[in-house]
Amino acid sequence: MGALRDIATIAKWEVKKTFTMMGRNVLPIAIVLFFLLILATGFTAQSGMHLQDGMYLVGTDDPAIAQLIASDPRFTVYEVTSPAHESGDISLDLTIFKGQVYYRETEKGRAALRTLERNYGKYVNRVYNTAEDLFAAYPLWIDTRNVKSELDFLATQSGQYVSVAPARGAAPVPVGEVAQIPTPSPELGVTMEEIRAELVQSGAKDTQISRYTDVLSSGSSTMGSFKTPAQLSPPLPFDSIILIFVFVFPLYFTSQFFMMSIMNERIERKGEILLSTPVKTSSIIIGKMLPYFIGMVAICAGLTFWIGASPIIMLPLIPVIIFFLANALIIGMVSRSFKELSFISIFFSTVATSYLFFPSIFANVHIISLVSPLTLIVFTLQGTAWTLTDYLYSTSLFWLTGAVLFYIAAKNFKEERLFSEKSLVSRMREFLSEVIPEKRPFLSLFLITGFSIPFIFMVQLMCLVLFFNLPMPYSLILLLMFAALVEEIAKGVGIYTLYVRDPEFFSTRNLLFACAATALGFLIGEKLLLFVTLAQITESVFGSILFLSIGALWLPLLLHFVCVLIVATCLKYGGRKWFVPGLGIAMVVHCLYNLYFILGWLG
Amino acid sequence: MKSKHLSIIAKKEFRGLINERTILLAVLLQLFIALFSSFLMVGLTSMYDPSSLSKYSRFKYNIAYAGNDSEVYDYLWNSPDFRVYKMDLSTGVAALEQRKLSAVIYMPDTAPDSADPVKITLYTLQNDLQSAIVDVKLKEIFLKYETDLRVIRADRITEQPIPLRIPKTEGGGDFYEFVYGLLIPLLVFMPAIIASALIIDLITEEYQHDTLETLVSTPVTFTEMVWGKVLACEVLVPVQAGVWLALLMINGIAIENAGLILVQVSVTSLILILLGALAALHYRERTAAQFIFSTALVVVMLFALAIPDNPLNLLTRLAVGTAGMEQWVVLGTTLVIVLGLGFVMHRYAEKVGRTHKSG
Repeated sequence: MGALRDIATIAKWEVKKTFTMMGRNVLPIAIVLFFLLILATGFTAQSGMHLQDGMYLVGTDDPAIAQLIASDPRFTVYEVTSPAHESGDISLDLTIFKGQVYYRETEKGRAALRTLERNYGKYVNRVYNTAEDLFAAYPLWIDTRNVKSELDFLATQSGQYVSVAPARGAAPVPVGEVAQIPTPSPELGVTMEEIRAELVQSGAKDTQISRYTDVLSSGSSTMGSFKTPAQLSPPLPFDSIILIFVFVFPLYFTSQFFMMSIMNERIERKGEILLSTPVKTSSIIIGKMLPYFIGMVAICAGLTFWIGASPIIMLPLIPVIIFFLANALIIGMVSRSFKELSFISIFFSTVATSYLFFPSIFANVHIISLVSPLTLIVFTLQGTAWTLTDYLYSTSLFWLTGAVLFYIAAKNFKEERLFSEKSLVSRMREFLSEVIPEKRPFLSLFLITGFSIPFIFMVQLMCLVLFFNLPMPYSLILLLMFAALVEEIAKGVGIYTLYVRDPEFFSTRNLLFACAATALGFLIGEKLLLFVTLAQITESVFGSILFLSIGALWLPLLLHFVCVLIVATCLKYGGRKWFVPGLGIAMVVHCLYNLYFILGWLG
Repeated sequence: MKSKHLSIIAKKEFRGLINERTILLAVLLQLFIALFSSFLMVGLTSMYDPSSLSKYSRFKYNIAYAGNDSEVYDYLWNSPDFRVYKMDLSTGVAALEQRKLSAVIYMPDTAPDSADPVKITLYTLQNDLQSAIVDVKLKEIFLKYETDLRVIRADRITEQPIPLRIPKTEGGGDFYEFVYGLLIPLLVFMPAIIASALIIDLITEEYQHDTLETLVSTPVTFTEMVWGKVLACEVLVPVQAGVWLALLMINGIAIENAGLILVQVSVTSLILILLGALAALHYRERTAAQFIFSTALVVVMLFALAIPDNPLNLLTRLAVGTAGMEQWVVLGTTLVIVLGLGFVMHRYAEKVGRTHKSG
């Protein structure tokens, strides 16, 4: 109860402090800016985004076509009199002569043609929408039914194709019982007028903004799964970029305030009074964080309400909020100056945003997209259901890393850490050192390595996403090296911290024990997390390199042990400057092991 | 105002940046995003334009065809992408579930010239990369059939669109617009945003670390100090933007008028830097200054994007080589705004400086 009261008190202080500081002369200007923001948004919505105006040059002989094309500001249209696109001194990307389109054989020419094709398709739809007999204008409808395969996606993901095609003539025969599929009804089940309303609605949305906002209006389509052939193709959710700005940007913004509040405690030792009170550090941290957490949740809830989406999308957002706050706390505690704070926070937000954003591009295509919680949001907006397993899969890393970072921060939230002026790397080392108590170094090495696993997975999954699409041998080689390096760094960090604190500690006996503890911690952490969440990815070729999931347990243990031993020995006999070369050697050993045991390339 | 003093201040700030190695983070950041943009290029092309990958196009997909005969069957039969089998619907779907097929098509018993639409039922695998590719390839065939049906029912369509014959391409051009119309302006403009956040840090730091008195007691005046910091931030912009352009070019993205782009970015970024300096001088405290500045930044950017021929649009046009004389008008207008803001900032700094001298 006492802790709760402390937390509430500190949270109240935090709110009061922020408001008195902000209140004086920030609030009036903030209100003015807020109104200007609404005005600017309205203005932009009205006149459209003019970012891509005039990218392409088009020449045509027909004024009607010229008018049609010029309705898209991306095109600048000229009158020409000859079909040769070399005519005149301007190099035209497209020329249209007597209804025939010619394009220049360049990347730009093809891009212009694509855009024209898309615009023309929309125009044709607009004309056909007004047709008296809609079923003459749209004679063909496709009803897509998704079938869940008994074999999961692992087969295709590990490089196998759907099936081996039999010779022409022999149709594939299913094995076992064949379930009766009812013959689909040939009728659409909706009237012509309902369809017209739907078509007009989707056709009307062709302002420039709607290219980006379509994803925000969760579909209220009356037509179910029916599509015209033109609508049939995996939707390219570039639009999910808007989700980043709509949901993640306010989070980033609010976490800045938290960062700054922590930093302010440190400037001029203002936080000393707080630390001298008999309140527990965890209560201080939670109390200071609480207002920001509530604020972020409120912002997200408001946004959800505003776009009229299901409140379920709050579920994947909460671990993201916690992740942002945990990082803001650490960043606020390690940076020495405002410049450093700015750069680190921009760096962090870019990396985090990429981690969240890039996988979600593939929301409709590939399971890898589930790495990012944003994909769940995209799914919810699209009306696709997701399961508890999906939720665990995409958010567990955020929960875990958030918790670990909070623990480290709580351990270090005290005078000698907060008010020292050391460089970034040595501060981080000190932070880690604080988590390793003198009395039980091996147990803490074991735990540190175990808890580094979620971070390793995050980095490795990012590499996986990054390298996934490079041509096959390169992606594998790069992944192999990066995965090994990341793991070796994570295992070496604890040993390095111990070494710097007390080089005498590493007698031969202690060295072996430390390496064994690290290796064991790594193995157990890895297996545990694998077991809980990542089974989906681990079975593919990529996964086996990342997570070493096959083979007897003692083999990977031995590998981890040997690699850490290499690093530790380098440190013991070579001193600190041998840390990096040691990592290099360990990485090579690790790669060779992977090659030999997993891919069998040497054997 | 002495230029020597300005450069002393600017050098001092650079030293600070290099000492803290924060500038390394900025460079790392650039590399990181460049890596991701190349990933986007390769990744998205292969995901959404599968024919660009040879390994997918040489592969034939098995399709089951159930129900009535139609042109669709012939199209599938003649397509180089598919192997089509006439099958019973239930058998087909069962084979699909076992991944022996890529899709099953059911054609109803609707006559091509019927008053009702033809509703094809398409069964595909859920959540599968291959089925996305199959969808794209099937779409072409369905579109062909739709055109056929429209011709058959032509006499019932009252209004025809202006005919336009669009040639077929071998793909490509998909991400041109994304790269030149979004990535390049944003990436090139990012250093300007970083620089304007930096100026706030540099100025408020002097206040919050109480180092101002020491600085003001030197021969350097307060105004010179502020301008020196502005200079330090401004120099960073073309350097960083230049690195960007170089990285993009190494990635194989041809950029025209790189020099003019740098000029344009440098001048436009001055607007942001001066706004940042004004906010910092006014609030003398980082949280408030950054908050007001970032909100103002969003307003200014939104507003600028809504105006045709805005500086960001000009970056795009310069990069693709379609900028005409209007670029000089835009540059001139930007310069006028910069001069105006510079004057305001100068006056404000003088006023603030006088209070420090007297106080």
